[in-house]
Amino acid sequence: MRADEHLVLHGLAVKRHATAEEVADAIGDDPTRVEEVLAANVTTGRVADLNGKYTLLPGGRMIVKGEYSRHYADVRSSEPFLAAYERFERVNEEVKALITSWQVRELPSGEAVTNDHSDADYDEKVIDRLGALHERFEPTLQEMCTVVPRLQRYAGKLDAALDKAEQGDRQWVSDVNLPSFHTVWFEMHEDLLCMLGKVRVE
Amino acid sequence: MSSAAVPTRAYTHRLSGSTDLPDRNLVGGKAWSLARMTSLGLRVPPAFVVTTEGFRHFHEAGELTERLRAQVLDGLADLERSTGRQFGVGPAPLLLSVRSGAAISMPGMMDTVLNLGMTDEVEAALANESGDAAFAHDTHHRFLELFNDVVLGLDPHDHRADSPAAVRASVSTARPDVAWDPLGQLMASIEAVFKSWNSRRARRYRAHQGISDDLGTAVTVQAMVFGNLGEDSGTGVLFSRNPLDGSKQVYGEYLRRAQGEDVVSGRVTPQPLSELADQSPTLHSELLAAAQTLEQANREVQDVEFTVQSGQLYLLQSRTAKLAPEAALRSTIDLVEEGVLSVDAAVRRLTPSQARSLVAPRLATTSQSNPPVASGESACAGVGIGRVVDDPDQAISLAAEGIAVILARPTTSPEDLGGMLAARAVVTDEGGSTSHAAVVSRALGLPCVVGCGAGSLNPHVGSIVTVDGATGTVYAGELPVLVPREDDSDDLRTVIAWARTLSPISITATAEGLDADDVVDLTDIPGGIDPEQVAATIAGLPPTQAISGGAAGSPEAVTAAIDAGVSRIVTDPVLPALLAAVHHTAPGQPDATAPTSADSPTDTKGQPR
Repeated sequence: MRADEHLVLHGLAVKRHATAEEVADAIGDDPTRVEEVLAANVTTGRVADLNGKYTLLPGGRMIVKGEYSRHYADVRSSEPFLAAYERFERVNEEVKALITSWQVRELPSGEAVTNDHSDADYDEKVIDRLGALHERFEPTLQEMCTVVPRLQRYAGKLDAALDKAEQGDRQWVSDVNLPSFHTVWFEMHEDLLCMLGKVRVE
Repeated sequence: MSSAAVPTRAYTHRLSGSTDLPDRNLVGGKAWSLARMTSLGLRVPPAFVVTTEGFRHFHEAGELTERLRAQVLDGLADLERSTGRQFGVGPAPLLLSVRSGAAISMPGMMDTVLNLGMTDEVEAALANESGDAAFAHDTHHRFLELFNDVVLGLDPHDHRADSPAAVRASVSTARPDVAWDPLGQLMASIEAVFKSWNSRRARRYRAHQGISDDLGTAVTVQAMVFGNLGEDSGTGVLFSRNPLDGSKQVYGEYLRRAQGEDVVSGRVTPQPLSELADQSPTLHSELLAAAQTLEQANREVQDVEFTVQSGQLYLLQSRTAKLAPEAALRSTIDLVEEGVLSVDAAVRRLTPSQARSLVAPRLATTSQSNPPVASGESACAGVGIGRVVDDPDQAISLAAEGIAVILARPTTSPEDLGGMLAARAVVTDEGGSTSHAAVVSRALGLPCVVGCGAGSLNPHVGSIVTVDGATGTVYAGELPVLVPREDDSDDLRTVIAWARTLSPISITATAEGLDADDVVDLTDIPGGIDPEQVAATIAGLPPTQAISGGAAGSPEAVTAAIDAGVSRIVTDPVLPALLAAVHHTAPGQPDATAPTSADSPTDTKGQPR
């Protein structure tokens, strides 16, 4: 499989269930070309077209997975990239903990209840910490971008989500139906795991 | 050279016990809250503020000028006098906290630095004074970690080392200009606060919100107090009412001879507040009186942090307590009956989501007698019953056939989102309350139990289970679920009656008295069952007398219905919708007492909103 074709299917693997536009947006490619690649893969039975949204079929998923080591050999052997990834995993722990504080508050009993977002002070503090973490992580992300330039898209999306959250659009922190900070962060994690052939550890 | 030629401007402000509150724009929100506490006659650790005048001076000069430094040193000398401790010097060293404080809080401002003034000599003095060398050492490391992170903007992970000297050496290779002496630490922190005003996030926020860049931030410099200086010292927290059920009984914890961090680190097991009563009945009653004062002044249940240093009570912070929904309901009703709160303010204080969780389905208590088939950590409360499926695609296809499914996975990834959306509950083998499954489930309001152990539900694939998200347990079979009724609770009936007097729209549990022709059932209308779309759907309806079904009870629908001139909503439970309706109207009198009360009731948290 050609590298550009693999990249389209990789984008679909990360997005899982997405339109050609969404895949194109994920990998920074031209939507028309992505549509062509996806349509061609529908013909070969690797991808399914479900009313305009594409998804990898099990066979396609296996083929895409098997090709990562070939297309990302240089990334997998790049010391700076691997060091940056290690740092990402550490920051990831902090991001997950912050998203949890966003969703859950601990009662004095130790019982965790859903954060109903009625305490603006609390919410502001969590968003502020997320912003601080994001800023501290940015140089690391830039190091990754020197090896894989398309990761730059994540930097822009994370910043855009954070900006909206800071202005009071609270769903941009972790809403799963939006490119919220957590949604983008999570897709970036999935992207890195795929490229490096690693398995998610919770 | 004459100082008379240039009138010396005050760049600092001492927070005294005066009843006159300082200008919030000059000292910032945090210092203003401290001043307010002292004005109520309560003791807080001594503090001074480098004001927004000082900020402007700094930015004009581009540095901390001699004049500004001299005033900071004066403020410091004041703190040394009032605490009887010395900055950077034993045997009783003074440590400081430094906080940013603009009149309006905003992102990107410098966070708090604690234990400033710490050196190897100070650590030794503190070890000697407290008789706890481990505490002094921890304090030193915690200081370095915060200072490196917050003031220097470094990742503390990059500079971890066994000894403070090694941490400093590591940081100094990256940042050779750092002055590690106590005054150097203080000046660097003040400068970092001032500079954070122009951080990218702060500037962006102000630009969006139309806040002037000239407003500036103040810096609060406050003495640290220690709860571990002897048997007559300690630290604790208290709630002015029981935060679990809302009853009028003070609830708290106290640790004798301990510092606040000990509570967090779990180094010591907290004792009930009666421990303080045993140590000193006088202090105990002083504390209860303080909690009462704060609750009266703020008209909300308070969560108070305090420290006793050598027999002297200091209040560190007081904020609105986070209450269990039951407690929020009970205390709000009590505050009305006590004449502290008006009915209008009380109803506005309760949220639709609190009202909803009070009637959320739960497992009947009798049903938990049989042993669970799996248990893990609670990630999202709620009850889900269905057939166990271990494949997300199968979950989607079964759910499409109308079969209730429980998705069981080793862990979840973005690939599983479709399956999660289709499931009634999610159970994972691995992961804790911060795992992907937990985060996504909470975003979806989906019952979820995580970390049940490898293959925990494998034997149950294909069979029916009941998942209790609240307790993190999974039971075999379908267990009876209890749905609490609003009518069964006196407290809920009281608040419903109050909310009805304030609601601009009639909200009822049944369609009694309505003609079927007058009611639009949203279930039958595109977009009518999705809270995200329901507002647009309602706005697009022809003039309608009443709505029911679908998402009619959601806050979005209630707001849209009022705006569209709908006169009645049929939904059950009614209280969440009633509260949303009241929240959509302009507030009336916030407090039950005279409107000219000295302490402004509009600010209940000491923070501008």
